[in-house]
Amino acid sequence: MSFDYNMILRYYPELLGGAWVAVWITALSLACASMIGAVVCIGKLQKHGAANRLATAYIDLFRSIPEIVLIIWVFYCLPLLFDIGIGRYSSAIIALSAYGGAYMAEIFRAGVQAVPRGQVEAANALGIPVFHIARRVVVPPAIRRMMPALVNFLTELLKATSLLALIGVSELTYVASTLGSKTFAYMEFYTAIAVLYFMIIFPLSVYARRAERRRLRRTGN
Amino acid sequence: MSETANGTNGGDPIIRCRGVVKRFDDFTALDAVSTEVRTGEVVCIVGPSGGGKSTFLRMINGLEGIDGGEIVVDGIHLPGSKKDIQRVRREVGMVFQSFNLFMHMSVRENLILAPMTARKIGRAAADERAERLLERVGIGDQIDKYPSQLSGGQQQRVAIARALAMEPKVMLFDEPTSALDPEMIKEVLDVMVELAESGMTMLCVTHEMSFAREAAGRVLFMADGQILVDAPPARFFSEAEDERQASFLSKIL
Amino acid sequence: MTRAGTMAGLANRWGFHAVLLALGALMLANLNWPLVQSFEFVFIWEYRIALLKGFGITLLLTVEAGVVGVVFGTLFAIGSQSAYSPLRWLVGAYVEVFRNTPLLVQLLWIHFALPLVTGINTTALVSGIIGIGLQAAAYYTEIMRAGIQAVPRGQVEAAHALGLPAWTRWTRVVLPPAIRTVIPALLNQNISFFKATAIVGLGLLVGDFFTAALRVSNDTFHFLEPLTFAAAVYLVLGWQAGRWTLRLERRLSRGER
Repeated sequence: MSFDYNMILRYYPELLGGAWVAVWITALSLACASMIGAVVCIGKLQKHGAANRLATAYIDLFRSIPEIVLIIWVFYCLPLLFDIGIGRYSSAIIALSAYGGAYMAEIFRAGVQAVPRGQVEAANALGIPVFHIARRVVVPPAIRRMMPALVNFLTELLKATSLLALIGVSELTYVASTLGSKTFAYMEFYTAIAVLYFMIIFPLSVYARRAERRRLRRTGN
Repeated sequence: MSETANGTNGGDPIIRCRGVVKRFDDFTALDAVSTEVRTGEVVCIVGPSGGGKSTFLRMINGLEGIDGGEIVVDGIHLPGSKKDIQRVRREVGMVFQSFNLFMHMSVRENLILAPMTARKIGRAAADERAERLLERVGIGDQIDKYPSQLSGGQQQRVAIARALAMEPKVMLFDEPTSALDPEMIKEVLDVMVELAESGMTMLCVTHEMSFAREAAGRVLFMADGQILVDAPPARFFSEAEDERQASFLSKIL
Repeated sequence: MTRAGTMAGLANRWGFHAVLLALGALMLANLNWPLVQSFEFVFIWEYRIALLKGFGITLLLTVEAGVVGVVFGTLFAIGSQSAYSPLRWLVGAYVEVFRNTPLLVQLLWIHFALPLVTGINTTALVSGIIGIGLQAAAYYTEIMRAGIQAVPRGQVEAAHALGLPAWTRWTRVVLPPAIRTVIPALLNQNISFFKATAIVGLGLLVGDFFTAALRVSNDTFHFLEPLTFAAAVYLVLGWQAGRWTLRLERRLSRGER
């Protein structure tokens, strides 16, 4: 068997288009997941009460259901349940955001808890307004603490976009599958997209690992 | 350096080091070290920390690679093949500062593992040997305990027994009492003195000058990766022949 | 905790509850009530054999991921500690390739592209078994490597100093404490693979539990009941397994020293 580079040369605009779809769906989902995650995180930070229990339930729910099951469920069931039309792309983003929200909530929580308690108390004692405490005292160490986990989650989200092929969203994997069945050049297209995914995801993993090691060296926890 | 071999029972050299060099990146830890240890000799290596004592000791049983020169242990040349290093290790016992007992094994298992797998002796013989050696180091009643249930002094005595279970020709001690609470140092030193008196060839990196004075046939003073002084303990502690030795002695005595 | 209190201060507690209530009410009001009233869970019982068979395949893939993962992950992790650099490099490359590409793409590659190289056509299930096994080996290698590196250096040095043969050094000295420290991580990883079996199922149509549920939907034109049931099964099992793992992790960390 031989590897037919011409196939890739001929169809590379389609492949790059698929990669672009994967990237923007990831970006949009990450943005929505961050918003959901922030709300859930605030709920989780309450020591007790309904908000805490709801947040815990949300996190457990969306971390325990497989992403693919969630994607299919949102695609088939959500429109039926509310009797509304939801397109492939919208249901993809809803599913990934709901799933991502649970992970983002935990990432945010780890970030907030990285803030040294004494510093917040000191700022409170000085009478610094809450907003400024958040911006100057809470956020910087929290971001440092969160970055590795955040980038790591970004790689998970990128990998999860490949699952959207199964509901017909024309992202990278879907494009390769259709091209493959059209030309029978499965070898070429699946190899090409594997390389593409790797080129996008690998640098992020390397960054996440290095950042985590740096953080551990500096803080030890 | 052979003028110092008097005073002990002067057997054949069992360890011979010629121009041994060790480098860590561009730092030279050992700079052409040469010496000999004869069968039955007890040699203490003393000196300031960072002087290369532990590195030297660890090279003798292949825990550190050799960057120049050679070490001959019981006729086996280092640097050598993996097999040679393995043969050396079976003839040379080692006791570490931090004991390094296998924490997930009982005392008995710690003692029988190496004889059974590296020497291929039977279970019954290994058990018998383990019990005898534990009696010898004075903790025969602790055989079925786990290391975490023992005091530091007891753990170090188990570690000595574990090394002896391989019936080594030479024992290396790498600061064996440095990690111990003061009240436990003596129980370990007593075992070492008894071992020395029994005729074991011993090479000890130590800060215990009382041990060096009492048990050693020779004292080596190492600093800056070199052996600066090689003398019997009586002379070593009475007259300094090197200015760094003098400053070391003034700090430690 | 004061910092929790600070964050709580950011969102007025009662305002938060009001928003939640409003959201809930909005969802209830917009529910398709006629559909909800026509729910029929009898299909699940009717298709119980198909669903159970599917669940068997899900279990098979989960167990396979665990077994293959631990065995090969341990071997590869040992290889990653080798003094022989090409071997280290090979293990590293393997782990990176399988961790940094999506499982679905690996599965499609193995099922559709690999036969063009080998000339051997694999059934969907065999492709799935190969794919999840390869990925499991990569993930477990990372876990085992961390466990091995957590074993104190002195333990390994003592093993060397005693002249223990390499086999004994690994099996008796290094691996027992290494595996002990990573048991929770291994179990959590296996829960992830339990979830990932649904990708194998749907990606290659191997007839796992989720594919079976989807088939029930397609047969009966009832989507909500079978799919929600399937989601609930994954939820309950995954959640419960996670709780057990957490409890075990706490017990193990208490048992130390």
